[in-house]
Amino acid sequence: MPEPNGAVPTVTLTIDGHQVTVPRGTLIVEAAKRVRIEIPVFCYHHKMDPVGACRMCLVEISPGPPRPQTACTTPVAEGMVVRTNSPMAVSARADILEYELANHPLDCPVCDKGGECPLQDYTFRHGYPTSRINAPRRHFLKPIPLSERIALDRERCVLCYRCTRYYDEITWDQELTADHRGADSYITSQFGQPLRSIFSGNIIDLCPVGALTSRVWRFEARPWDMAYTGSVCSRCAVGCNVTLWERRNQLVRVTSRQNDEIDEGWICDRGRFEYTEVNRPDRIRVPQVEGREATWDEAMEALLDGIQGAGHRLGISIRRDVTNEELFCLWRLLQGPCRGARVALEGRTSLPAPGEDTLLIRDLDCARAIVVVASDTADDVPIVNLRIKKAVSKLGARLLIVHPDRLDLDRWPEAEHIRNRPGEAAAAVRELAGHPLLQEGPVAILWGDGRGSEDTRELAAAVAELATRVGGRSMPLYRATNERGALAAGLISGVPDDLEGCEAVICYGPPAPGRIPASARFVAVWDLLLRPEHGSPDVVLPALGFAETQGSYTNLEGRVQFLHPVLHPEPPLREGWEVLCELGQRLKVREMDFVGIFQLQRAAARAIPQFAALASPPEPEPQPTPVLYGPARP
Amino acid sequence: MALSARAIEEIRSLPPRFPHLRSAVPPALDIAQEELGRLTPEAMTEVAEALGLDPGYVEGVATFYTLLHTQPLGRHHLYVCTNLSCTLRGAEEICHHLRRLIGVKEEREISADGLFSYEEVECLGACEYAPMLRCDGRYYYDVTPQKLEALIQGWRQEAGNGD
Amino acid sequence: MATEVPAFSPHVPSTELRGSGGLTPPGPVLTRFFGTPGLYTLAVYRDHGGYRSLERALKEMTPQEVHAQVKASGLRGRGGAGFPTGTKWGFVPADVPGPRYVVVNFDEAEPGTTKDRYLVENCPHQLLEGACIAAYAVGAHQVWIYIRGEYDHPYRILLEAIEEARQQGILGERPFGVDYPLDIQLYRGHGAYICGEETGLLESLEGKRPQPRSRPPFPAVKGAWGRPTLMNNVETLSTLPWIVEHGGQAYHALGTDRSGGTRMLSVSGDVRRPGVYEIPIGVTFRHVIMELAGGPPPGRQVKVFWPGGSSAPVLPASMLDVSTDLDELARVGSMGGSGGVIVADDSRCVVKAAARLLRFYAHESCGKCTPCRVGTDWAVRTYRRILDGEGSSADLQILDRIQASLQNGRCLCGLGDSGGWVIMSTMRHFRPEYEAHALRRQCVTGECERQGAADA
Repeated sequence: MPEPNGAVPTVTLTIDGHQVTVPRGTLIVEAAKRVRIEIPVFCYHHKMDPVGACRMCLVEISPGPPRPQTACTTPVAEGMVVRTNSPMAVSARADILEYELANHPLDCPVCDKGGECPLQDYTFRHGYPTSRINAPRRHFLKPIPLSERIALDRERCVLCYRCTRYYDEITWDQELTADHRGADSYITSQFGQPLRSIFSGNIIDLCPVGALTSRVWRFEARPWDMAYTGSVCSRCAVGCNVTLWERRNQLVRVTSRQNDEIDEGWICDRGRFEYTEVNRPDRIRVPQVEGREATWDEAMEALLDGIQGAGHRLGISIRRDVTNEELFCLWRLLQGPCRGARVALEGRTSLPAPGEDTLLIRDLDCARAIVVVASDTADDVPIVNLRIKKAVSKLGARLLIVHPDRLDLDRWPEAEHIRNRPGEAAAAVRELAGHPLLQEGPVAILWGDGRGSEDTRELAAAVAELATRVGGRSMPLYRATNERGALAAGLISGVPDDLEGCEAVICYGPPAPGRIPASARFVAVWDLLLRPEHGSPDVVLPALGFAETQGSYTNLEGRVQFLHPVLHPEPPLREGWEVLCELGQRLKVREMDFVGIFQLQRAAARAIPQFAALASPPEPEPQPTPVLYGPARP
Repeated sequence: MALSARAIEEIRSLPPRFPHLRSAVPPALDIAQEELGRLTPEAMTEVAEALGLDPGYVEGVATFYTLLHTQPLGRHHLYVCTNLSCTLRGAEEICHHLRRLIGVKEEREISADGLFSYEEVECLGACEYAPMLRCDGRYYYDVTPQKLEALIQGWRQEAGNGD
Repeated sequence: MATEVPAFSPHVPSTELRGSGGLTPPGPVLTRFFGTPGLYTLAVYRDHGGYRSLERALKEMTPQEVHAQVKASGLRGRGGAGFPTGTKWGFVPADVPGPRYVVVNFDEAEPGTTKDRYLVENCPHQLLEGACIAAYAVGAHQVWIYIRGEYDHPYRILLEAIEEARQQGILGERPFGVDYPLDIQLYRGHGAYICGEETGLLESLEGKRPQPRSRPPFPAVKGAWGRPTLMNNVETLSTLPWIVEHGGQAYHALGTDRSGGTRMLSVSGDVRRPGVYEIPIGVTFRHVIMELAGGPPPGRQVKVFWPGGSSAPVLPASMLDVSTDLDELARVGSMGGSGGVIVADDSRCVVKAAARLLRFYAHESCGKCTPCRVGTDWAVRTYRRILDGEGSSADLQILDRIQASLQNGRCLCGLGDSGGWVIMSTMRHFRPEYEAHALRRQCVTGECERQGAADA
């Protein structure tokens, strides 16, 4: 923790002969990482409170009693000498591993965790070379479906309680629990009912063994058979970082990728499990005109014919995860030949463009009071919801909710909940200045659109007023993945979208208001799939999914993040920006003849101030550093 | 089986007695078990709802403790101490005898008349009176097969008279 | 002294006293009035000078003076660890604002230990007074008594005693006219040995699954509901009224140099007069077992005894002359523990007894830390193989390895160590019995064969 003046007091200690200087309060297990010494852990997780349960991290510490101590619960001290490789520490850890394996089924050949399993790796690096286990193993019924998406294998479980602690500590939910005690204890969902939390999938990433595995990904691939890239989730405006996993040009898995600015390593179940569309066998792969397969050239001509002369009776519906680059192309089109066309964005709120100084997600960590208005954050912006919970339960912020219904955040016993009548949130917010919970700042105000029930302009004014009066900052909670990008490009505004009355409609993705307007005489669908709500379009263009496309999103706090496709689409599939550029060129728009996406991104950065970051895509991420010192076998 | 309105009311009144809400869970489970004889999933769910917690939390707590029962028991459930001090003074024989007396083969099995079940438990803290057992909220000391027989007989008669 | 026992209490102790005040004369401190009819009532307790120490502490002493007397007394915790009480009190920070608690550990569940029940059933007010004195000394106003769920009778006794004390204003806003509000609440356990471990108890008190916490932070700093908390055992606190009345030095003089005063020993198992005896610390176990408890049954010899509950490493009969002094016990490789003395005579199979105790530790393991959860269970299964005549030298090696990997900080709390000590100490002193069982399928005492025949 930094001191108020910004100075971080440090402590110098020695681990296995290597001197390391770390901030005061650092745990030994974290300090060891700095010098790339592996102290194995099961129960410890850097985002949760240490509990010292699994005893895997035993090390010898001097000065101290002549016995092993847990590196995961012991903070560093000046002059401390830690030995992870003394005979006592090495045998203490090997004993624990022997215990972990005493009832383990050793079914690694058919285990989805195999290859990325800490239990395997630690046994290899820290375990006894031979097994002395001669007793029959304990057996449990398995696998148990914890939900449609998660399977539990109790025989593999080492009872580190990461999953149940995560549930209670991070999500404030207790539908996952441990039952009974001692060797009879096991993890279970409450009364065996399916898990329903939107945050359930993180327990798969957390599980240090193969006890919790994805049923969506079950028996799909060995980890080493997959390629992966670090990318961004496409499901909502939060912009959690994810790792995309590919095998045989299929997207087979999505896992979390920690970015402390945004997600702190958590993703919601939508991002984790709702990725299979891109693999569907009925994907649109070839353009169609009037139900017949066509070339891109024919399809583009048909499209141009269809929208020709539509003017302000042209409607463009765009999918929620439209990229900044595509938005820039659309902006160009709307500046030129498509001027006057109406635009709708799938899944968006009716929130207006943000004010100047909006809150960042990480700022929630510093808030002393958090006000949540007109949003069920667990549904609207799931991972921001977890950040609120962290700020409240771990960092001591007070929580004030303005919403008509009981919400997930009401699990906090000390939360104050003001139940406004639907549509009257603004009035309720106006009464908040001077509220006792808001006496101490900084105050963070997070506000949504009440799923359409609130007058967002009035609410925006009320929130701005409150922010001024209590010295706080606010964050509008957009829902559509790139809603903020679309607002920045001026394609949409705080007024609800309506394409009714349009005679020609280009529908990129699912139709934004839920259906194609009845007034449409010409419909071009550009999507991965032909959906029932698309009806029978005149022209069909194949689109790419988020795991295949290049580009970037602007998340709800205005941060531009780049996608790194893991799938490589085969022609005739084309990048969305290429299609839009071709359309622009056919419509004689100047400056849409980009030779590559980098050129386009630089142009976008120049044209739209909020897209400035597009000019400088980040360096590729460095490869993970291998463990330097190890193995430490008995 | 659902909890009575009175029990729910009583459970709702518990939290203010403690600095934190969760301390009310075990006492609330007492109320539920007192009323229903055991803790069914429905009862645990009702307890959780009355306290504003998830049922899973209540389940985790309830299954930890040996005095909270999720399975049905006999009307008189005998906790027979079998830890070392009682075993040294004949607890095994008492259990053996008890099984014969009430006609069950194993722990927690309910006798045919529904009156009895038993459980071998760890030290009950009355070793100077070993062997001993606990039933219906009281301790029985210096248990012998004869005393046990008289006890069981007494309960049988009581039940017979009651019916 | 002929005080009438008030009629409102139906709860008289249910059997005759066995031990000090019953079979033997009352002891000098805790049991000095035991055997007096109605001692559990406030009236009789006050007739014998009850609550005068609390009154004196509140009116005439500063918290620091009370603390000083306890330090001088040499009193060491009677719950099992034997930690100096005065030192423990010193850990409770003086300068933290907000509530703080005294928690009474009445989760007596250590096998062979019955003294706390004995003390409370006979003289509940002694505990209440002691708890209030401790509260005053550490600046707490609220006492929580955590009582094990099986103790129905002591629960009712305490409930009534607290009610009586409230009615008399001893508990309330102004005890003895002094502006120092005091209150005592009862909290019942629900059957788990681990709740006797201090952090397990705190988790239980907080309504969670009672799995012990990693320390630091220690309960003195962050205890019940995250507040500074002093936790002491029933016997420890019951001693305080005497210490305040007679002074720490006088108490200390009753015991040995390093272990002051008297303590309660509950003697059970193969003895003629099992019971709870108050002894000045320093007498030998020979005195306790052979004289106070009457020795083994006719024709039998003492073979082995647990000097301080099942968790204290066993001592063979050859060590009967070991003193009850805590340091002396530590020197011979055992501990004073909870004062539960379990005696087994020469007809008993040590392997079978150890197996029974390991079943206890496995059953009571909370399941949080790996070595205890898996190790005790593995030991139980190994013992079963040995006792079933399927053992081998490998099983003895496994027991040896398990006991080593349960001890010395390998586990999160002391429960695992205790299980390890049972294996370690019985193997150390009775290795031939283990070898006979595991290697030759013989029980040297014949107990296991007799048992097998009886079962058949």
